[in-house]
Amino acid sequence: MEMPANATGGPPAPTGVATALPRASRAPLPGPPSIVLDHVSRSFGAVVGVEDISMVAAPGRLLGIIGPSGAGKTTTIRLILGALKPGSGAVRVLGEDPRHFRRTTRERIGYMPQSFVLYPELTARENVNFMAALFGVPFFRRGKRVAEVLDLVDLTDARDRRAENLSGGMQRRLELACALVHRPQLLILDEPTAGIDPLLRTRIWHELDHQRRAGATIVVTTQYVAEAEYCDEVALISGGRLIAYAPPADLRRMALGGEVIEVGTKGPFDVRALAPIEGVNHVRQLGPAQLLVFAHDAGLASPRVAAAITAAGGQVEYSREYRPTFDEVFAALVTGAADARGQVE
Amino acid sequence: MRGLVVGPFKSVTRILAQVRKELIQVRRRPGAFLSLVLGPFLIMAIFGLGYTGVRKPLDTVVVIPPTLSLPRDPAFYQQLAGPALNILSVDETPDSAQSRLANQQLDLVIVAPADAADKFRAGQQAQITVAYNSVDPIEAGYADFLAGVVDRQINEQIIREAVTEGQSYVIGEAGSQIHVPPEVVAAPTTVSVTNLAPTQPDVVGFAAPAALALMLQHMAVTLTAMSFVRERMSGAMELLRVSPVNSLELALGKYLGLGIVSGIIAAITVALLVFGLGVPMLGNVWLIVLVIALLIAASLGLGLIISVVSDSERQAVQLCLLLLLASVFFSGFVLPVHEFREGVQYGAYALPVTHGIRLLQDLMLRGNSTSWWQLGVLGALAGGFLILTVVLLRRTMRSA
Repeated sequence: MEMPANATGGPPAPTGVATALPRASRAPLPGPPSIVLDHVSRSFGAVVGVEDISMVAAPGRLLGIIGPSGAGKTTTIRLILGALKPGSGAVRVLGEDPRHFRRTTRERIGYMPQSFVLYPELTARENVNFMAALFGVPFFRRGKRVAEVLDLVDLTDARDRRAENLSGGMQRRLELACALVHRPQLLILDEPTAGIDPLLRTRIWHELDHQRRAGATIVVTTQYVAEAEYCDEVALISGGRLIAYAPPADLRRMALGGEVIEVGTKGPFDVRALAPIEGVNHVRQLGPAQLLVFAHDAGLASPRVAAAITAAGGQVEYSREYRPTFDEVFAALVTGAADARGQVE
Repeated sequence: MRGLVVGPFKSVTRILAQVRKELIQVRRRPGAFLSLVLGPFLIMAIFGLGYTGVRKPLDTVVVIPPTLSLPRDPAFYQQLAGPALNILSVDETPDSAQSRLANQQLDLVIVAPADAADKFRAGQQAQITVAYNSVDPIEAGYADFLAGVVDRQINEQIIREAVTEGQSYVIGEAGSQIHVPPEVVAAPTTVSVTNLAPTQPDVVGFAAPAALALMLQHMAVTLTAMSFVRERMSGAMELLRVSPVNSLELALGKYLGLGIVSGIIAAITVALLVFGLGVPMLGNVWLIVLVIALLIAASLGLGLIISVVSDSERQAVQLCLLLLLASVFFSGFVLPVHEFREGVQYGAYALPVTHGIRLLQDLMLRGNSTSWWQLGVLGALAGGFLILTVVLLRRTMRSA
């Protein structure tokens, strides 16, 4: 399969600074990819849903599909689930065409839709029990498993409350419980963190990490760009197009044209005083005493930059890796892609 | 091998899960359940208490021109016409009466022919004019019927008077001993009517089985259509589509779940009709149960088809009401099915309620039926609708 020009191809484990949530710490599990989208397009009349999308989710990995509202995330999910037929290209999920999943394959998939679609008259426990039965969990195992999964999403105390009386956050967790109850091998979650408070979002990502560690392949869509940090691979989508597809750390590199060092000087320093430095693409003035240095390899460039600043009469106070937020990364990538398209057109 | 054992077990699990879900959903909406149970019974009760079964007599003016020697007393004509007419007056000219008829202040004007005697002598028939003012074809038919009754009564009266005069003449001339009463000459035969039906229910008793069939069909259709459309509109269908449940399991789950609800409601309604309103139930109870079960099954299928072809809850409600309207007109509830043209009759027989009405009326009021073929058609409709539902559901679940 040919990957997009700006994609990295394989799914190497990203590197980066540790955060509250463990990120991409595991290599993919052996075996064929859980999901393959190969140059997939789908339109709705004149409206483009997705166009020429390619991506791969390896077993045991967490693939994040990130983009603004209306970017084509849900269309991608529906293509993966077989609810939509691709206009062109091919989709393979767990080795099958999702349009013709076998029933045993469906039993291996857990799905959490974007909005609350469970039964409002049923209690939390009844809803989970119903979904467990639909996915073939036998009666004698169901009670224990339902209790487990309700406990997992912290809904044990609310188990006998009707779904219509649960808060929005609790309803999201209930849907997550329904998606998890049959221990799916492939978990597909459409915006599980949309519209819920940051604390709960963190808990949901913790749970997803737990599932990933248990061996599940996970596909998550989100419009919170910062959540890219928690994924093994990220597909950035905008306007139905795949802007970038890479591990989070590589996305930063792609957005900024390499690695970036933030350098602080003692007293004001004018970037124009610097002579060209080997291995450095360019240097940008961030403040009177702050510079951003864009290099292929930050480790090699850092001492050379310090030497150049000293040679130009400045004095380095600190030098550190610059980590732009994913909002900045996303904005840079989208702008870059739009510029590239403009040039082509 | 394991799949052969586990597969059916999982299918049963999925179907039972849906049955349980449907029952819980109905139980959690007690208001809706009560209205489903009590609604039909209350309607029947109000109908039974409010309907007298007696037609309002038609307000009538009789016009006897001055040239005729017929009586002028309204009581005379009231006695002739019977309770179906209310003779308000006997006028000499028709103008006033016809003006009141045009203003719908009267129902009927009967005008005796002014030239009756001349025509009679000339050996010709004179014409009695009966006028009414109604757009209702049933009422118009009733007025026609009453006009015929009045016509026969007046003819009898004329013959009776003529025979009386003739007998006086014959006895006077020949002293004959033969005496035939004028009433016998005017009406040589009388009618003795016998009804062979095993029971003669009142209007409510007669209407109850048909109303029961109509209500059961409407309830089952609405329950299913709403349940499934709600699932589609809420997005739950998206989950079902992704899950391993197939269209047959989905349809069977709905059939069984809502079938149990409908069966409970039917049982309670029948009990209320029989023990509350005294509706006869002469037939075999198990046959009646079978008819009701098939009627419900076919109606549930019809409801599922409506839900599959509906784009919204509103459209489903509209289609349910259209089906109810069609059922009222074509099922034999109001007008006999055989009075429709042949093509329309086929449409009528495609409605489960048509067979439900005939079979329930026969079994409850006669104790037996001569239309057992309709039981077969009802069963075929139930099976056919189930197959159609499964096919449509499969298309809905996989289409995108």
